[in-house]
Amino acid sequence: MANHPPNWVAPSDTTLPAELQRLKETLHHAAHLLPAQGPIGVFIHHNTLHAFEHLTFDEAVRAGSRVFGCEPYLSEDRYREELSRGRIRSSELHTVLKRDLAAQADETVHGLSTRLELRLAMLEHPLRSGEGHELDWFMGETDALRTARRDVSEVQRRRLITETRHWVMRRIRGSLPGADHPAWIKSLFTQFQPPRIEEWDEARWEAFTMSALWAICREGGKWAGERLPATIRRIRHRDFISALGGTDSDLLVNDVLIRFCATFLDQGIAHCALPERDRGLFHSFCTLHRTDGGASVWWLTGFRAEVERLQKENRSALASIQESLTDLGVKPEETEEFLSATLLALRGWGGMIWHVEERPDRVHHPIPQGSLIDFVAVRLLLERFALRAAARTSLHYDGELATLRAVLAERIPSPQPTCDKQRAFLIFQMAQVLGWTPDRLYHLKPADWVSLFAEVEGFTELDRRRVFHLAYEHRFRVQTLDALAARATAASEAPKRPTFQAMFCIDEREESIRRHVEEVAPEAETIGAAGFFGVVMYYRGAAAADFVPLCPVVVRPQHWVSETVDRRLSDQARLRRSTRRRIGMALQGFHGGSRRIVSGAFLSATLGLLATLPLVARVMYPRLTARFRGFFDSFIAPPPLTRLVLERVTPKAGPEEDHHGFLPEEMINIAERILRDVGLTARFARLILIFGHGSTSMNNPHESAHDCGACGGGQGGPNARAIAEMLNDPRVRTSLTQRGIEIPTDTVFVGGMHNTASDHLTFQDVDRVPSTHQSEFDAACRAMQEAIIRNAHERARRFSSAPLGLSPMAAKRHMEGRSEDLSQVRPEWGHATNAICIVARRQRTRGLFLDRRAFLVSYDPLQDDGENAILARILGAVFPVCSGINLEYYFSYVDSPGWGSGSKLPHNITGLIGVMDGAMSDLRTGLPWQMVEIHEPVRLLFVIETTIAAMQKIMGKNPFIETMVRNDWVQLAVLDPESGRISVYHAGGFEPHVSTDGPLPVAASSREWYTGWRDHLEFAEIRPPTGDN
Amino acid sequence: MPDQDRLLTTLGLLIVAAPFALLAVFFAAFLGQRRMEEQTIGRLIQGAIYVSLVAALGAAAIMLAHHLPHFTIELGDWVIAPNYHLKFQFVLDLLSLSYVTLALGLCAIIAAFSTRYLHREPGYNRFFLLFAVFLMGMVTAALSDTVETLFAGWEMVGLSSVLLIAFFQERPAPPRNGLRVWIVYRVCDAALMLAAILMHEINGEGDFDRLVGEHAWPQHDPLLIGPHFALLGVLFIIAAAGKSALIPFSGWLPRAMEGPTPSSAVFYGALSVHLGVFLLLRISPVLDSAPWLSALVVVLGLTTATFGYLAGRVQTDIKSALAFASLTQVGIIIAEIGFGLRYFALIHMLGHACLRTLQFIRAPSLLHDHHQLENAIGVRPRAEQPQWEQRLPARVQRWLYRFSLERGYLDSLLERFIARPFMILFTRFDCWERRWANLLEGRKAPEVTEIVDEPL
Repeated sequence: MANHPPNWVAPSDTTLPAELQRLKETLHHAAHLLPAQGPIGVFIHHNTLHAFEHLTFDEAVRAGSRVFGCEPYLSEDRYREELSRGRIRSSELHTVLKRDLAAQADETVHGLSTRLELRLAMLEHPLRSGEGHELDWFMGETDALRTARRDVSEVQRRRLITETRHWVMRRIRGSLPGADHPAWIKSLFTQFQPPRIEEWDEARWEAFTMSALWAICREGGKWAGERLPATIRRIRHRDFISALGGTDSDLLVNDVLIRFCATFLDQGIAHCALPERDRGLFHSFCTLHRTDGGASVWWLTGFRAEVERLQKENRSALASIQESLTDLGVKPEETEEFLSATLLALRGWGGMIWHVEERPDRVHHPIPQGSLIDFVAVRLLLERFALRAAARTSLHYDGELATLRAVLAERIPSPQPTCDKQRAFLIFQMAQVLGWTPDRLYHLKPADWVSLFAEVEGFTELDRRRVFHLAYEHRFRVQTLDALAARATAASEAPKRPTFQAMFCIDEREESIRRHVEEVAPEAETIGAAGFFGVVMYYRGAAAADFVPLCPVVVRPQHWVSETVDRRLSDQARLRRSTRRRIGMALQGFHGGSRRIVSGAFLSATLGLLATLPLVARVMYPRLTARFRGFFDSFIAPPPLTRLVLERVTPKAGPEEDHHGFLPEEMINIAERILRDVGLTARFARLILIFGHGSTSMNNPHESAHDCGACGGGQGGPNARAIAEMLNDPRVRTSLTQRGIEIPTDTVFVGGMHNTASDHLTFQDVDRVPSTHQSEFDAACRAMQEAIIRNAHERARRFSSAPLGLSPMAAKRHMEGRSEDLSQVRPEWGHATNAICIVARRQRTRGLFLDRRAFLVSYDPLQDDGENAILARILGAVFPVCSGINLEYYFSYVDSPGWGSGSKLPHNITGLIGVMDGAMSDLRTGLPWQMVEIHEPVRLLFVIETTIAAMQKIMGKNPFIETMVRNDWVQLAVLDPESGRISVYHAGGFEPHVSTDGPLPVAASSREWYTGWRDHLEFAEIRPPTGDN
Repeated sequence: MPDQDRLLTTLGLLIVAAPFALLAVFFAAFLGQRRMEEQTIGRLIQGAIYVSLVAALGAAAIMLAHHLPHFTIELGDWVIAPNYHLKFQFVLDLLSLSYVTLALGLCAIIAAFSTRYLHREPGYNRFFLLFAVFLMGMVTAALSDTVETLFAGWEMVGLSSVLLIAFFQERPAPPRNGLRVWIVYRVCDAALMLAAILMHEINGEGDFDRLVGEHAWPQHDPLLIGPHFALLGVLFIIAAAGKSALIPFSGWLPRAMEGPTPSSAVFYGALSVHLGVFLLLRISPVLDSAPWLSALVVVLGLTTATFGYLAGRVQTDIKSALAFASLTQVGIIIAEIGFGLRYFALIHMLGHACLRTLQFIRAPSLLHDHHQLENAIGVRPRAEQPQWEQRLPARVQRWLYRFSLERGYLDSLLERFIARPFMILFTRFDCWERRWANLLEGRKAPEVTEIVDEPL
């Protein structure tokens, strides 16, 4: 989510000379390109390309792919695969392309085809290309000159041959004697021996057609000439050395720098801290390298003298950067570009340093301000030595670094131009698929040829991928909106009091359990609200050491809430706490000791063999072991009877005892807000359950990425518990009645928590459920239990290690095992497959199988005021969270090693803040492949139940929403509350959505619809058979 | 008791045959271009390991019951020549059976772990193929009774380890680091090869039995005195030092963490790294031939342990920290061998291997565990610098820190004083050869480039 530090404005430091001040600002500007991911223990999703949000999506991914060297879209082959399996439809490719070209679509290209046809053909038929020799071989040794391409239709092929035949017989052969034909026609006829032309069979004519086409295209290619490939821009010195095959200086520098950054940022893995760490990166680096390191790496000869000089002359990091830039010969006008490129050479580490510097509250061992500048200073210092050594040893360059780039640039051979043959081959292929006959090509003038080449080559690979992607999203959008349109006309519910209501987070993983609850208990209702339920707090559990923030990451809590054990059990609690402490100390001693000499020898020789017990148990029987551990833990965990310290009597809130909790007035506001947000102001059931969610998994450095996004990567159970307690408070209810929300006295709220990995439900403060509600509560629990088992079963279909034929109970056990299994790299799929965000009344989506792909936000437009204040505040919170999640998944999927963090298997936790690949690499940001594997990279489709005018007004007031929508980072549709008609946002305006598909398929239950199927599913209506028919 | 002998022979052969059959199936599938299902591979490999493991335990039980300390299985001769007698021969004794049981036990656990950990990974088949080669090598080396059999196993272990380090071949770093490890392995392989030749020169055959006389390991006749035994000892120590990452070869150990977590765990935490220890245990009679050899082993072990501890303290990523922790203990075990504490070294090695495997496969849970510990203790655990270090002057502390951070400069020393001079020398040879060839052919060729020597 939008967690990038606020745009940093350098305080005008009057002590700095203007030059250095400018340099500082330049650096901070360049730093915006760095990944915004913070320490991995609290994982917050955000748009990977947040630095480019001011551009449109297409411009941004192109710019991003240039800057970071990553893929902007899926590969063309991938999209064609989707085309062949029907996920992209040819007809829709046509629609999308036509719309994209607008007025230019029907222009013809030199009378050959319309532009639309041309581009469509280029999309549908993969065009081959190759170097000169490769082409010669292809033409000489394959069937290319004998038969038409295999993907040319039979009709097309015959037409091409027939027309060529006519052309030859009528025009060429008829006037053969004496007529002046170009040399290539003559040689063609010599090759095919025309005298017996009447006896040529079909195959010979086909070969002739192909050869004639190729010959004409070669002729045309000559007019078009060669084309220079886009020049590669080289910025850093290293790029020039690498281009010449010299030693990669980055390898040398990174080896030293990564190790140093890791020890500088370490939050507690090393037993021994970096000397003088508190004095900053630059200082501690220089001090450390002033010590005798005579045996250090070969290319750092003389480094000690250099850092000694820097320290003696008391140079600051900025001054050192200035020195380095001068030494490297970087001109002032290219400074920013050069510094960006330098920063991005190790962007994971750079980004982490910047983040920790900006948000010292997120780590235990903060680092001083200005560390990023120090980082660049050190990098440039090392680079100067590495570049000199690399240039000297591998390229015999002994001159100044300042002139290195200019000197080497002359040595680099200029890139090979695309030869005319290569270009002709492109047209040769186009001619076949589009049926351009030799006759028609023959009559093109040289200028026509030039523009024809420009036309074909102008529709580049990137453009094709963009159009493919639009069609890919189009299919999904149409399917979604059709499903919603079909539901919009369904009859509304009878206004009966529900048996119970269950409130969940808007998270798309809760879509399925909500559906199952409503299937199990048709009289019940479910509600979706952002999972912190309006309670913004720092929270400390009874067994926790510290407060953790439980709220969206953009908010800083002003309240502290803690959990205490019931006073009657305080003795037991104290005893257990000290037991836990003793066990913890022993474990810590054991782990630390095993890394030391004597204690390590003692421990491994005596207890080492005992390690086989947990080893075998945890690997072979993860679920049983977890249950055993749970049993054991129950003797040392805090006693189960606990209370939240929710109400404060002192006026000031703070982390100290007696300052925990909210004032009654604050509670009333929170309660009112959440009820109004979800539109729950009447028809309260007797029992209302509220569930937060979180996820536990083993061996998963990205565990926190599976927790609740609305709780800032924390577990939302305490928020649910707190809001339930507030809503049960009679004073709150009285005040709410005065404010127009009358909660019946017989309504009881119960908080709980849903573990999305193990599918485990827990309830809180159950002892406070009055006896009058006991039987209803038990019934609701049973229904929830049944729903959760069904939910586990639905999830299981997506894991290929869970057999498709599992029974629901077995699926539940499978999920429990998964979350406890040390060897499981996919404990759950997290947000993978997320694609839609629906902000509407539940009636709009109830009974709709949305395949766990939709964020469902409850919002009742009929209860909103004229200014749409409720919707504005809902969208203000939902937009950044959901689009951040969606875009992070998009990028991590589209180029996993580039934008994401690649495969999880070699990940190695570093400094408790991030992961590296193997023993030493850049910090890997983004999501690992194992989390996104089943994702479909489509931009989030918002469907909001409101009027077009209201939506436009909200966009006008909220610049973030405006930017995201206008720049196409998300898709937007509005569902009219009155008419149920859907309009889709396109290029600044709204257009009505017209349903294309037939009625929605119907299934009797979710299980019937998904059973036996692993892949994504179409949407369907779940309608249980009624008793009458 | 021929029955009992036959049973033991069968069981002993079964230990080796199961991994061999597994490899045969894998290669047959490869040749027949049949792509095996993940599940099939998982079952095959676990089946093979269990068969071996049960056979090993059975053999151990029989030998215990009959108080039989030593049993050899001959598989026949390979080459017979004057002074050279190569044969495949396996031995069952305390050392071989405990090491093979350890190897099989850990491989069984890691195989089960990996079938889930590598699920859906494109290199799944390759991983398990290499795993099977490793297993085969480990079993062969552990049971070998002749130095040539040991060498065969040793090579299989080395090759599969290196290919697993380079498992993620789409990134440049793993193959690069794999190559580094491979070079160190080749150096120690050369030492082992020389040792094997020397053993044949001395005895005419490579049987370890000849070294220990009629006794079962670790007792032996004190007969091995002479300079050639000292040389043999030194060669074995070099071989062991390379394989176990002892000083000065330690630099490769952290580089080996490029592979998937389970392979790092079982190879560098537990088995590969102890293979050098195993070799020294196996040839321990040679070490007793000269007191200075034992002293050398002790010094090597203690230096490595100290180095491993110093470097381990400053490691900031969990896998390197564990790798150096492993190295520390391997150093201690080596020193124990030098002191003549053979039984203790054996127990220490077994315990250490199990403990480290557990720690390695839990490495990705570090954040989770750390958080739990923090909650239990109530404050964030933060290790303190030891007392002795705080008393040192700041300069010395800094020096020590840099020494540890740069891993004792071992890599750069090897690179500066061995690798680069070697490269420069051979590039020169190459230049001269070309010039010479050009001169002979009488044609002018473009000047050949040389690596410029870096002033040291």
